Amino acid sequence: MRQKVLIFVCCFFAVISLGAKKIGVIKIGCVGPITGDQASLGLDQLHALQIAVDETNAKGEIIPGYRLEIVSLDDQHNPSQAVAMAKRLASDPAVVAVVGHVNSSCSLAAGPIYQNARLTQISPSSSNPEISRKGYDTFFRTCATDDIQAPQAAYFAFTQLKARQVFIIDDKTTYGKGIADEFEKEILRLGATMFGHEGIMQGDKDFTPLLTKIKALNPEVIFFGGMYPEGALLVRQAKALGLSAEWLGGDGLYVPAFIVLAKEDAEGVYCTFIGADVRSLASAKHYIETYNARFGQERGPYSAYAYDASNIIIDAIRKTGKLDRQAILAQVKATKDFPGIVGVTNFDAKGDSTIGLIGVFRVKNQAFEYIGPAKK
Amino acid sequence: MSHLETFLQQLINGLTIGMIYALIALGYTMVYGIIQLINFAHGEIFITGAFFGLAVFSLFPSLTQWNSVFTLVLMFCAAMAGCGLLGVVIERIAYRPLRKAPRLACLITAIGISFILQNVLMLIWGPVDKSFPAFFKHSALTVGALRITFMQGFIITTSLVMMIALRFFVTRTMLGKALRATSEDMTAARLMGINVDKVISVCFLIGSALGGAGGVMYGMYYNTISFHDGYLVGIKAFTAAVLGGIGNVPGAMLGGIALGMLEGLGAGYLSSAWKNVFAFLILVILLLCWPSGILRKSRNE
Repeated sequence: MRQKVLIFVCCFFAVISLGAKKIGVIKIGCVGPITGDQASLGLDQLHALQIAVDETNAKGEIIPGYRLEIVSLDDQHNPSQAVAMAKRLASDPAVVAVVGHVNSSCSLAAGPIYQNARLTQISPSSSNPEISRKGYDTFFRTCATDDIQAPQAAYFAFTQLKARQVFIIDDKTTYGKGIADEFEKEILRLGATMFGHEGIMQGDKDFTPLLTKIKALNPEVIFFGGMYPEGALLVRQAKALGLSAEWLGGDGLYVPAFIVLAKEDAEGVYCTFIGADVRSLASAKHYIETYNARFGQERGPYSAYAYDASNIIIDAIRKTGKLDRQAILAQVKATKDFPGIVGVTNFDAKGDSTIGLIGVFRVKNQAFEYIGPAKK
Repeated sequence: MSHLETFLQQLINGLTIGMIYALIALGYTMVYGIIQLINFAHGEIFITGAFFGLAVFSLFPSLTQWNSVFTLVLMFCAAMAGCGLLGVVIERIAYRPLRKAPRLACLITAIGISFILQNVLMLIWGPVDKSFPAFFKHSALTVGALRITFMQGFIITTSLVMMIALRFFVTRTMLGKALRATSEDMTAARLMGINVDKVISVCFLIGSALGGAGGVMYGMYYNTISFHDGYLVGIKAFTAAVLGGIGNVPGAMLGGIALGMLEGLGAGYLSSAWKNVFAFLILVILLLCWPSGILRKSRNE
């Protein structure tokens, strides 16, 4: 009797395991700051990947027997946290590629981990040029780099804003200092005078000591290399102190939250962005509508770039047809004329996108108004 | 802008933030004075005050168009009452059971409470920076190139009034007397018939309420608040309390103002990139010269 039961149980499980079709998962990592002061950037990236993955899964299995899944991790825009999260992704064999990190400092820190794990990483927004110069063959990005952005911002400041006397502030991060240094080089080359170049602490709230000093120097244009939380505080405190200089920032200010935080003092602030006005692109119309309908909030600047990065990865997985990091990496590297929503993406030998367009925006009536490319 | 004007402007800016440090430092110093506990949760209580103020603002949006002075008063009341209550509750559930435990146990509990509060704030109000309503726009009093915004004037006078009121309470009232007695010798105070538990609760109530008021002013001044702001500002206020001599009420006021001004001057004249480093460098240097703070009389332990 006991043997019969045993045989029956065995048969039962055999039937179940044969009958149920087993669906495997292929995971795409997503790392960025999803808590903290820059959470909106990380969430935008995650939302973009969610849209891309859901669109793919809705069409059926990406490769026979597999569907896509997202592993969302939080690096809190902290490089050491970024390394820890990269290790977690690298140790999960189902993870085949990563969208992220948002911040240059994090991409820089996590780069070697992905390199060792043969894990493809496509960042939608890490624009510091150093990252791709390190020679990590696993690193790619869909945005332009700061060595293109900053000189064009300087060109715009010199020719359009007629800046001859400038003061430069940066937030001492890989991104902020990188873009500010490149800006300084180019604006000096063009022939402007620099009244000073000072750093601030990211996360600090009170910049009045520095701004008081700048007020005494009275420059025409202040360039800020940094992110929107500090940017918003800087322009507000400058207004309170009665500074009259024009403000110009990089893509770190081109975030809707900048206007929310800086309120009426954001008016007239210029910022460059590592791409054109996504809203004006016909190719992005459907994506923007999907995003707004699903997340009911204003889309951040890099989300379109994250969406393209996601689709390049998904496309590579589909073409590879198997769960193999090395093969997927080779496929991403071979990307040719990928028809994304921000333009036709190709990667150069370093993994940088070849689109390279820098747009200039100005805050007008509490919204970013597209002025045009920085350099015509 | 002349050199003198720049210097004076830096002092005014420093005084403004120094006043906020001082208000928070009072909470640290009062609690330390009475139960020798460094209440690390105080920084979080401070920023909770800012969030209470914001809650009033978002709960009654129609109110703001109607009367901004009334809104302001309501915001302060909500923050002070809310934080005062929060302080008392924390003392009751987290510190009182540990009154007889080694002091380190209490300290670690305080750090734990600080983490809990920080995460609760994040859960309720979300992880992103919150925009805080602006009052007074940027209207200012100008003397030459000097600008004192109404906001700065408001912060300085309100803080001063609160500090004077506290000083009056501690030195002139019966409860203040009990507070001083308990801080001098808890056992003796109890033998004299003072309800020590009640006195400690009152101490937490007042300290936390002042911190909450500081939080609202902080939010009004910078117009953005986030759940982790309490940490750095809390540490600086603690520095201010130590600077003035921890356990000493006028010392905390003086320490806060001194720290704000020195930090501002350091950032303005040396390098703004190292602003926070200056704050702590000042602490180290001053403590080397006056190990027990500016105003604290050396006492036998």
